[in-house]
Amino acid sequence: MNDFVIETKQLTKIYGEQTVVSTVNLHVKKGRIYGLLGRNGAGKTTIMKTILGLTPITSGEVDVFGKNIKGREKRVYPRIGAIIETPGFYPNLTGTENLEIFEKLRGTAAPQAVENAMKVVGLPYKDKKLFSKYSLGMKQRLGIANAIFHDPELLILDEPTNGLDPIGISEVRNFIKNLSVERGKTILISSHILSEISLLADDIGIIDHGVLLEESSMSKMENKNRKYILLQVSDIDIPKASLILERQFQLKDYSVQNNHTLRLYDTALDMGEINKALVTQNITVISSQLCNDTLEDYFKKITGGEGIA
Amino acid sequence: MLRLIKIEFLKLRRRKFVWLMLLAALFMPFLALLYFKYVKETGGDPLQFYRWSAFSYTIFIILPVVLGILCTMLIYEENQYDMLKQLWIVPISKMGYFFSKFCVVLIYSICFMLITAVASVMFSVLPGYVAFDWKSVLYLLKTCLEIGIIISFAMLPILAIAASQKGYILPVCITLVYSFLSFSLMTVNMYLHPLSSMAVIVMRNGDIPGVVLTQAINVPLAFLCICIWDIAAVLLANIALGRRK
Repeated sequence: MNDFVIETKQLTKIYGEQTVVSTVNLHVKKGRIYGLLGRNGAGKTTIMKTILGLTPITSGEVDVFGKNIKGREKRVYPRIGAIIETPGFYPNLTGTENLEIFEKLRGTAAPQAVENAMKVVGLPYKDKKLFSKYSLGMKQRLGIANAIFHDPELLILDEPTNGLDPIGISEVRNFIKNLSVERGKTILISSHILSEISLLADDIGIIDHGVLLEESSMSKMENKNRKYILLQVSDIDIPKASLILERQFQLKDYSVQNNHTLRLYDTALDMGEINKALVTQNITVISSQLCNDTLEDYFKKITGGEGIA
Repeated sequence: MLRLIKIEFLKLRRRKFVWLMLLAALFMPFLALLYFKYVKETGGDPLQFYRWSAFSYTIFIILPVVLGILCTMLIYEENQYDMLKQLWIVPISKMGYFFSKFCVVLIYSICFMLITAVASVMFSVLPGYVAFDWKSVLYLLKTCLEIGIIISFAMLPILAIAASQKGYILPVCITLVYSFLSFSLMTVNMYLHPLSSMAVIVMRNGDIPGVVLTQAINVPLAFLCICIWDIAAVLLANIALGRRK
């Protein structure tokens, strides 16, 4: 018996001749926030759809709450709240009326469930504004309210902060975090915005072109990212500076980033001594600082390119 | 199921067009009123008036077209706003979803025919073109109720086509073809098309004056025709909704 709420084994999804998801082994632990990070079209939404049984699997397995999901698993759905892509609602109804419809469909017994969910996402309860008049951010909030009002154990949120303003993003991030920390919810969240995932997730899976490139805890991932000294000198001094670093400090583990930037990966070096040595040799030091590789750098490195915010 | 049907009606709040379409129920009674005012003389047979107001174009053209548009509207909007995946994970069974829509069509169809019946009585009795007669009024109500129920079953194929399509153009076009085809097929074979079969069932007693059916009346065959089309429609809907994510 494992403690994974979601586990995929060699999950593969092929549309026509295109492999959208390829042998993905995903492990979402109970009570944790799992961030699925990838570019647009990387396969995040397809993975979520297969977990929900909304799209058939080509090969592999999906287990949710220990139950193997084959198609639509009705016993599992009441324990899940989900937003997949842009949440759709009836435009001729108000936000509250929309949620009341879903409340009736779900047969949610909890009193004031809709009111509480609306309050959590910061939408007015029993407001007369029709859904068709909602802004994108309000629609997104209503989608989140719909995902949480029946108090599910597992939340599957596909880019839930899409269309929200910065304050809205921060609010949504905080209550997603609270749902996990205070109420022990398990959350699978996808995003193409790296900063979102890095601020929210306990575990992270990086997906690119349908392949899960890396899966680890956020703390491990952060530890992996190397510290280095970033040294900036004037353009003409790069060869000279490299020579001094190699000869005087016996430094081999460094890289030239561009025509005025060096990265020194031996962080045990005394930055003061380096500066002093360079200045003594008439090299113009623009700046020197201790840096960490960001998750963004790491993402670029393992996906082999740009394209993430 | 009752819960799903109630919810279907909740979804129709503020959808004025759906309710405005009910006004089409007044069209033929109003035409009958004009016809009797300018062409016919007063003191006529009530059934003659009702044949005009409720049993002619209403059941072959107006109501099928209205129901076809309703079927399309019921399905199309949920497709347009990408609601189905949210409904599936509630979860709602796909056939439960389909039959709840059908129940809305059935209730709407009955309401439409009852409005037609009431309007027919009012437009015939109040101006004094026919004398009020309980027997003929009850006959009108009974027949309208029958039409309302059977025609919704006859329109099930259109609901299935609407469920299988993401757009609305094809289901609406098919509705028009389907309605006019029944009219044409009446003279060829009444047991090929659900709407003409419905007419056979409704006019089985031959008590509507001025209506002459071209073939011998065979009610079981008419029911069989509707059943076959409906079974095919349910199968189509099942397959189409099964593929719909």
